[in-house]
Amino acid sequence: MTATLTQPVATEHTGIPLRTALRTAARWTGALAGAVALFAVLLLAKGVDPVAALTGMIAQAFTGPSLEQIVIKATPLILGAMAVVLPARAGLTNVGGEGQILIGAVAGAGVGLAVPGPAALPLMLLAGAAGGALWAGVAAAMRLVVGVNEAVTTLLLNYVALDIMLYLIYEPWKDPHGSGQPATRPLEIAQRMPLVSGTAIHMGIVVALLVAVAVWLVLRGTSFGFHLSVVGGNPEAARRAGLPVARLILAAMLLGGAFAGLAGAVHLAGVEFKLRPGLTTNIGYIAFLAAWLARHRPLPAVGAALLLAAVTVAGDSLQLDSGLPAATVNVLMGLVLLAVLGWSRHARR
Amino acid sequence: MRTIFAGAALTALAVLSTLTTAACSANTAGTAAPAVSGGAAPGKDSPAVGFVFVGPKDDYGYNQAAYQGSQEVAKVFPQLKVITAENVPEDDNAARVMNSMIAKGARIIFATSYGHLDAALKVAAEHPDVVVVQQGNLITGTTPPNAGTFFGTVYEPVYLAGIAAGKATKTGKLGYVYAFPISQTIDNIDAFELGARSVNPTVKTYAVSTSSWCDPAKQAEAAANLLKQGVDVITQHQDCTATVIKATEAAGAMTVGYHADASGIAPKGWLTGSQWNWGPLYSDIVRTALAGTFTGSKYNANFRVGYKTGDNPFVQSPYGPGVDEETKKLVDAAKEKLRNSSPFAGPVRDQDGKVRVPEGTTPDYETIEKIDYFVEGVVGSLPKS
Repeated sequence: MTATLTQPVATEHTGIPLRTALRTAARWTGALAGAVALFAVLLLAKGVDPVAALTGMIAQAFTGPSLEQIVIKATPLILGAMAVVLPARAGLTNVGGEGQILIGAVAGAGVGLAVPGPAALPLMLLAGAAGGALWAGVAAAMRLVVGVNEAVTTLLLNYVALDIMLYLIYEPWKDPHGSGQPATRPLEIAQRMPLVSGTAIHMGIVVALLVAVAVWLVLRGTSFGFHLSVVGGNPEAARRAGLPVARLILAAMLLGGAFAGLAGAVHLAGVEFKLRPGLTTNIGYIAFLAAWLARHRPLPAVGAALLLAAVTVAGDSLQLDSGLPAATVNVLMGLVLLAVLGWSRHARR
Repeated sequence: MRTIFAGAALTALAVLSTLTTAACSANTAGTAAPAVSGGAAPGKDSPAVGFVFVGPKDDYGYNQAAYQGSQEVAKVFPQLKVITAENVPEDDNAARVMNSMIAKGARIIFATSYGHLDAALKVAAEHPDVVVVQQGNLITGTTPPNAGTFFGTVYEPVYLAGIAAGKATKTGKLGYVYAFPISQTIDNIDAFELGARSVNPTVKTYAVSTSSWCDPAKQAEAAANLLKQGVDVITQHQDCTATVIKATEAAGAMTVGYHADASGIAPKGWLTGSQWNWGPLYSDIVRTALAGTFTGSKYNANFRVGYKTGDNPFVQSPYGPGVDEETKKLVDAAKEKLRNSSPFAGPVRDQDGKVRVPEGTTPDYETIEKIDYFVEGVVGSLPKS
């Protein structure tokens, strides 16, 4: 690699003055308050006391077991968000997190079926990452070789991934001792992701946070990260500057896919233990929203993943306490996204 | 390029090191045996009861029937808080919702979908003081003292409906839209064909899978394919049933319902069907749990009830206009016979003509719930495993 560009001295993330930080916080609070206010109107229209419903949600979110659930739910979302954040830096739209997560879970489950005992776990995670990278690599190759937009191919590959998993759990990998439901046999206890002592949270959260910090460091402090943003800013300029654009695009997609694949393997080894239809319940798409919510910045994406996980968990209360339909929580999530995205567009320089 | 590999290697290294060094404990979720509780009997004097549904509670089908059952429990036990949750996926999210219900005081939980069993057993293991019953699946191995499954012998009314379908068809081709090749569904498809065959020896049942309990797009496609093949009676094993019924009615074909009386959306083509009446069974399970006598009771097992043992919670739906008196008499006679027999009374042959139940034998409920083959006359193949 003969890069003629050097790394910038300062990036957009360094040296934010306190005043700007405060203003940002105020904007976020304002946007969220707006979303909640709209939601309250909706609740009123449904004949439900919004104050009771919202305090019910908050009470739901802040009980001990719920906090654990939020972390467990956020774990694959964080990794799935990184699968969007890193390619986005190179101007790529990876809508394929869902499929890459599925392939990662399939690869992890395959290793779990083949390798007994605790040795399986690290291999499962590596296989998951490799599987996800491979799946994203298909889309990257199609973009580089035949010029098909990766937003389209990654999305379509989600459906192919689902069909691959369904085929496996209906026929070759189906648990012969199961009750006929298409599913693989559960992972042995030794193969599962261990728990953080004294909690129900599995170690996947540590993996997810390490990956998020690594992505942040790479984007912020390495020439690779800088080259990605040059490609994302203006690929033609990058090419003229002598950057290996094709290789950078391939690398960004492969790494993104690896993170999503890791999310799948971690979720399988930490919570689900077996492949089954509906394994991911839209983790890839919610993670995509989390990445957008954070405007493709890695550390805020962690916060966005936690926020969306918290809204889901707190949303249980809307059904259990207020008797509202299950879809109500999706309305709240949609309002939060619209409010925050609308706000950040406004704030763009 | 070097930096990419450095970054990747760093990440991998960090991941591996956390797994080996961090303080951690084994992830035994769902496998730990419940602690022998010195405390109160599970479910005793519970102030609330929770119901988890996999789909919407107004689906013209399985979930609506279960929801109506929960509302009947609320009427029978006015002092109980009845907590319900719809659209609960069949994965670990179900355990989360059940735990939330327990946090709100429920010590009796009904997990009403087949695929909720893993989550139900996990919750039962974590909360020895809570009764967790699951609707429709089977616990294999030891049953925990605070758990159980329950169901009706769904294939019996389906067998009766098969008789009506066998008499009604003009093309000799019946259609069956199903979700997953689980034993419960295979039993239904087989019983439907056996019932139809008992009155119409050449009739065939075409079975089509949608791989989902409720996916209207796939249901519409399945119904269209069946109609194209000349099928003129369609039934189904889906949670939401309206799409298939409407498509069948629009094509001028006949419907055999499932889960709920949907004759309202098929006024011309409705023959009969099978529908749930969960209220009495739910209430009796709740009564047993509240009294503190759940452990060791008939519900602390894989409880099944059918025409042979008592009141099946799965009953025949009313007849539609196209069913003649002769058919009704045949159905009544068959129903009477089921009191001491079974739709699977031998001889039963599979698709290859091999005898699976020899003449003169009547398999018990347990055996029937493990059937993994289509009977002679069913068209369609099961995935091999």
